[in-house]
Amino acid sequence: MNPEDVRTKLAAAGAPGIISIEPFEGVAARVKFDPTAATALFPIVRDALGFPHLSMVGGIDWVERYEVFYLVWSDPAKTYLLLSADLDAKAPHIETASACWPSANWHEREAWELVGIQFDHHPDLRHLLMPDGYQFHPLQRAFKLHEPEDLEVKVRHV
Amino acid sequence: MSTPGPAVASVAKPAAAVVGPGGELPIVSSDVSFVEIETLRSREFIPEAKEALSALVKEQAEGKLIRPVFNWAGRNSLFPLHWGLACCAIEFAAAFGARWDAERFGVVPRSSPRQCDLLIVNGTVTWKVAHKLIALYEQMPEPKWVIAMGNCATGGGPFRTAYSVVPGVDKLVPVDVYIAGCPPRPEALLDGILRLEALIRERGA
Repeated sequence: MNPEDVRTKLAAAGAPGIISIEPFEGVAARVKFDPTAATALFPIVRDALGFPHLSMVGGIDWVERYEVFYLVWSDPAKTYLLLSADLDAKAPHIETASACWPSANWHEREAWELVGIQFDHHPDLRHLLMPDGYQFHPLQRAFKLHEPEDLEVKVRHV
Repeated sequence: MSTPGPAVASVAKPAAAVVGPGGELPIVSSDVSFVEIETLRSREFIPEAKEALSALVKEQAEGKLIRPVFNWAGRNSLFPLHWGLACCAIEFAAAFGARWDAERFGVVPRSSPRQCDLLIVNGTVTWKVAHKLIALYEQMPEPKWVIAMGNCATGGGPFRTAYSVVPGVDKLVPVDVYIAGCPPRPEALLDGILRLEALIRERGA
């Protein structure tokens, strides 16, 4: 499967919000899409293109924008497909993919926790790797590592 | 001998040699010198023993008599919690294997914190697991001790400035012995345990 195949299949299925389809190393193609069209696009990719398995969801802070990407796998075609969307840097948010691919649940929790991307209508958006009540998104560029000497630890004894 | 006390002075009384203390006990023996010494010893021993026993009973009321026994027994049968956090747990496990055999020091890992008096923090402590560590420590009965094994537990190790790692487990629980190394060898762990035993003897806890 090459980018032209992906373009043909997406156009035949009437996929909305496609911005660009370009070759990308290691995957069939990188599909840039409009985040507002996510809810309509995901089932088309899953059913019409035949990518039933979501391998991972990740987020990147590019300072002037945020990027969220979805790596999906097709077992018959033996190939990955990369879906990518640019989000607003002020309030990055996108509709959840867990309604389409249930495996997106924990990946989106991780992306929300570490990068700070809000996933709307997520069934269970809470901390995964950090303790409850953690106030920061440590993989954002603006996050500064603290010196342990400056750290004030408050222990609540059980 | 230069300053004889009352007991020595009574030795010099030959008349009391055939009679017991106070004169009420007739001594049936031909060996006068033997009888003399025995009666004198008994006479001095009874009030001394009374005094010593009453002092012991008084100390026992304060728990001073039995405490050294518990100290000796406790420091020679330290039960660490069977809890592995990171790669130091591999060395922890090796220390209880056939080659190093930490059980010859009475160190037996137990699976329940209720049965433990030693918490060996063997690995990186993240903020996510920090409250579990405190809960485990609080579940252990007193008296209890903590060994920070390896650089991560001692001061965060290579992850000292990381957002997710506790920079030293002594920020959470009181630590008695720190063991350096990344990871420390089983010999270092055994050395730390023996140092903790010396510490318990010294403190008298």
